[in-house]
Amino acid sequence: METSKLVPFFQEKLCLFHLRSRKKMSVLQEMVRHLAEQKLISDGHFIMEMLKNRESLGSTGLGNGVAFPHGRSLAIKKLIVLFARSAGGIDFDSLDGKPTKIFFLILAPSDKGAEVYLALLSQLIGLVQKPAELKKLTEVTDYKSLIELLGG
Amino acid sequence: MPLKEAHRLLIALQDLDIMIKEAKDKSTSKELESLGFKLTGLEELQDARSKLAKKISPTVLQRYKKLTGRYTMAILPVTGDLCLGCFVKLPTSFFSSINRDLLQTCENCGRLLYIP
Ligand SMILES: [Zn+2]
Repeated sequence: METSKLVPFFQEKLCLFHLRSRKKMSVLQEMVRHLAEQKLISDGHFIMEMLKNRESLGSTGLGNGVAFPHGRSLAIKKLIVLFARSAGGIDFDSLDGKPTKIFFLILAPSDKGAEVYLALLSQLIGLVQKPAELKKLTEVTDYKSLIELLGG
Repeated sequence: MPLKEAHRLLIALQDLDIMIKEAKDKSTSKELESLGFKLTGLEELQDARSKLAKKISPTVLQRYKKLTGRYTMAILPVTGDLCLGCFVKLPTSFFSSINRDLLQTCENCGRLLYIP
């Protein structure tokens, strides 16, 4: 998967450039609520439980200010990707203990294999490992700039 | 619309079992760890699973267990008029107003089915 292939996964209506929440669970809640408002999931509480379980397996806050909350469920019909940003950063139990500013929430169906979301995760992690790209991501406040970054 | 309680418990259990299976699976966990994820909370997941299983009736749980021994997915949603597990057409009675909200069974493969 090349970087430019990332662009189709991101929809403008699924980008939150100014997260309001300040705590780990409320950030997850804010993102899930947004997906419910957009009618992409029918049962937000159900998805929240799944994401909480995933976090208990090990924080998806990988450090360097980025987290990748993810999970698979039968309640998900097709792959959903949500981008969110918190200017101030949030304590997300990240592996390096630093505040998390960028979130890529990935939800995938469970009746298909893990390959799809693993490939996407790997591609996104590759992107944020480039310091210059990561810096730009933490500063991005509009969809056009985000897409330019992902497609670049 | 939120899922019916009986369906939602079983779906949550199956999702959790898939998560546990993935964390235990050598190639998937290796891939996740190579990406930087630390999968250290397997015990917490097992605890969450036991708690959830206690909320499900023993009869249903027994059937679920039997099915997971045979298939990857023990419970599936119905789309159209087919069982997505074995692709056999479901009887009309399946969609009757009395039955449509119940947890039903595919007469051909035995999988648990629900109408989302
Ligand atoms: Zn069947």
